[in-house]
Amino acid sequence: MAFAASLLNIVGIVFLAHAVYSAYEHSLLASASQSPSLRLPNESDPKLSLPIDIALETLFSVLLLCVGVVLSSPDLKPIQWSKWAGNLERSKEARIVDEAGVAAGNPYAQLEERPGFWDPRGAKKAFGLWVTEGSKSGSS
Amino acid sequence: MLDERQLALKPIVGESVGHNARTVSNIRALTASLFGVAAGTLGLESLPGFFFYFVGTAIVSLLVFSLKANGDASAYFFRPVGDFWIGDLFGGLMSFVLTWTLFYGLCKA
Repeated sequence: MAFAASLLNIVGIVFLAHAVYSAYEHSLLASASQSPSLRLPNESDPKLSLPIDIALETLFSVLLLCVGVVLSSPDLKPIQWSKWAGNLERSKEARIVDEAGVAAGNPYAQLEERPGFWDPRGAKKAFGLWVTEGSKSGSS
Repeated sequence: MLDERQLALKPIVGESVGHNARTVSNIRALTASLFGVAAGTLGLESLPGFFFYFVGTAIVSLLVFSLKANGDASAYFFRPVGDFWIGDLFGGLMSFVLTWTLFYGLCKA
């Protein structure tokens, strides 16, 4: 996608440069004519009228560049917290923990896993249950 | 509708709002100068030139809406009408006039 966008941009810039240069050269035709008394009528005066192919090339190149600029710009991010956090939890690179104590993936993880709120009695009870369950299943 | 209760139930990510606004205003500034180049090269004068700008801006809005926002502006902008469709309509007007006059002067004067 990025390659296609930059290709569109390059093609558009080339076409636009060509169109503008053609228009400039076309406007010089007026000063090449001999004297002001030989001025052409309005419709065929090169200063005032532009050939249709140059006009079409200009419009075409600007359209190409518009699509290229829109495609090559960074993606928009969803503003609803639920969608944004959902994307964050689903994306692989956001879940990589590269710093101790910094939540990765879940934006609320820092609140959800606070050591001050850790329940050692509950953990001990759960561990005891797990041990008795294990010994029961192991004996039977 | 967008009262405090609504915002408490469905919070908005400020960082994403800023990122989206920045992206769209970048696109608008770039394309406005491009429209200025085209208008000056075509030799548009006065009202047709501004009309050209507004038509071009509408086309860019549609492109962003279909290519970047996936057809759902309310998912990416807090107030879709105010922030996206109308809000930036005049944002690129000055850069448009700048390049318009420059290229008109190059090609016509």
